[in-house]
Amino acid sequence: MDWGSILGPAALIPLLNAGIRLAMPTGLAAVGEALCQRAGVLNLSLEGVMLSGALASFLGTHYSGHAWVGVAAGVGAGMAMAALMALLSVTFKTEQVINGIVIVILAGGATSLVYDKLFGVTSTPPRFDTLPSLKIPLLGSIPGVGSVLFDQNVLVYVSVVAVGSVWWILYRTRFGLSVRAAGERPDAVDAAGVSVDRIRWYALLASGAMAGLGGAVLIVAQLGLFRDNITAGRGWVAIALVIFGRWSPLRVTAGALLFGLTDALQLRIQAAGGGVGTGVPFELFQALPYIVTIAVVVAATAGARGDAQPKALGVPYEKEVGGSEN
Amino acid sequence: MASATAPTKVGLLSSEQWRTRLRSLFTVLGAIAVALVLGGGIIAVAGGSPVVAYADMVTGTFGSRSTIRLMLVDVTPLLLIGLGLGIAFRGRVWNIGAEGQFVIGAAAGGAFAILSPIQEPAVLIPVALIFGVAAGAGWGWIVGKLQAAWGVNEVISSLLLNYVAIFTVAYLVRQPLRDREYYLPQSEPIPAAARLPDIPVIDVHVGLLIGLVLVPIVMYALRLTPFGFRTRMLGMNRDAARAAGLDTKRLVVWMMVISGAFAGLAGIVQVLGVESRLTNNLDAGFGFTAIIIALLGRLRPIGIVLASVFIATLTIGGDIVQRTQQVPRAAVFVVQALFVIVLLVADRLVRR
Repeated sequence: MDWGSILGPAALIPLLNAGIRLAMPTGLAAVGEALCQRAGVLNLSLEGVMLSGALASFLGTHYSGHAWVGVAAGVGAGMAMAALMALLSVTFKTEQVINGIVIVILAGGATSLVYDKLFGVTSTPPRFDTLPSLKIPLLGSIPGVGSVLFDQNVLVYVSVVAVGSVWWILYRTRFGLSVRAAGERPDAVDAAGVSVDRIRWYALLASGAMAGLGGAVLIVAQLGLFRDNITAGRGWVAIALVIFGRWSPLRVTAGALLFGLTDALQLRIQAAGGGVGTGVPFELFQALPYIVTIAVVVAATAGARGDAQPKALGVPYEKEVGGSEN
Repeated sequence: MASATAPTKVGLLSSEQWRTRLRSLFTVLGAIAVALVLGGGIIAVAGGSPVVAYADMVTGTFGSRSTIRLMLVDVTPLLLIGLGLGIAFRGRVWNIGAEGQFVIGAAAGGAFAILSPIQEPAVLIPVALIFGVAAGAGWGWIVGKLQAAWGVNEVISSLLLNYVAIFTVAYLVRQPLRDREYYLPQSEPIPAAARLPDIPVIDVHVGLLIGLVLVPIVMYALRLTPFGFRTRMLGMNRDAARAAGLDTKRLVVWMMVISGAFAGLAGIVQVLGVESRLTNNLDAGFGFTAIIIALLGRLRPIGIVLASVFIATLTIGGDIVQRTQQVPRAAVFVVQALFVIVLLVADRLVRR
């Protein structure tokens, strides 16, 4: 295997460029999840939400011919799935872990059902062209940096704005303050006259929008087709990244970039003939992103001892009903 | 809890316990009814007739010996995995890596059966089963150990390990164990001596019998042993259990090892009893369906038996309805998920 063609100077720029591109679907979902967990809801439905967003964006683009219709459909479907999660977890206060897992199963079945019904299992799968890259004038011409950062798909720029918005909302707005408080001291939020349940509903919807967008980016910008379980665990990786990033949107984003880079690297190694020429099985490279994610979560949890985790994470907020004592 | 001072006892349980169990049963049945109505709506939207579809499912599955047999073959892995998950979930240890534990158990036991120099069924089958159980248990142990030592969330690590297991098997069937006579990657067949014998009359491999024998054992272990008591304590309140002097970390590891062992057993049983070789799609969703089964069965062994039969009927029925009504079989997964969603809500409403 020729390592120069994988990590050499000429290969480095496209590698970094691809890393950023591949980081986006997972990164979007992860940042949305960080917001949601900061509000105290452990949203394990992410994989299902992304998958729903992916199918909706595929159908939207396929039938309308416009990528933006697909993106809007993806965000909408993500929010709809998140609404189901919110209904169970916030309104009915059932076990959040189970809610999440069941919604993943539901979304897996539902997306497969819809796709099979519309396109059949045997016909040649429909495809469309993915969005071309959009080179930003001036910035895109900076040597090196320009090609890595400013010669990207338009949805990459949208994703960066979305991630930045979550950070801004969480740390610079009143709502963000309530979100952080709802995850740490929901009783204090309640005492201040703010509804914990309402904040958690909004946080879940926002995380659904982000994960739905992530699914849409995957389809509209990267793959241009749909098949069963096309998100391939990205939602689960996103949840892992939240732990790795210790619930901070910026650190979570950094984790997503690391993941994207691992993915780009393993694809590059496979394309360069890893496994065939060297005897190293290519399945090892396919498994690499998941192994790296596990390792990274272990390192993060072992180092931090979980002290960054919102105190009320996963615990439904039950209002003290008046009349019992006072 | 089986308290010795309960006033009236019917069998092993007090009348109060019977009442809560009956209520729990009726909640499940009510939830299933509601979910079936919702599922009927989905079938209608997908272009089928709900009434005909449900009728086809039942008559199609129970209408002939061969379909009953198919249903019972499907019950086996669901029951085995479901029993193990039932134990782990009782302790509120959320193992969602049964798919990986199943696949790795299948691979370890299957590889032994294929490569073993000894071709004596009395040796081959038990040792292959032990390999499967051990591999599944080991795969679960990784998750438990990570949780116990560093607090790594078991949901995430067990799920991510599924992919590692799947790629491991993909490698095994593409390279070292590959049957070179086939174009698609799959392993060589296991020797005839390793095939599980059939149970007389019903013609289902003995894996089903193993599952049914394990049912009372799990019941006994959960209800009447210190292990069962500790598991229930762990599930009720982990902090309180720790305060009471329980080694909760060790118990979490055990929950993962046990549920992993059950899934690994299911995997090797599937290879020796049904598939007779390793392929890239051994699991067929059993690992995730078993989560539904454990929850529908209320984490109780008998409930899990009933839920396995019910869901297997739905699965076989789904295949039939796919042909008669042109409703894709994925509809079955949607309906299964609806069962649990409705049940979660119903539980909440009943408790109010």
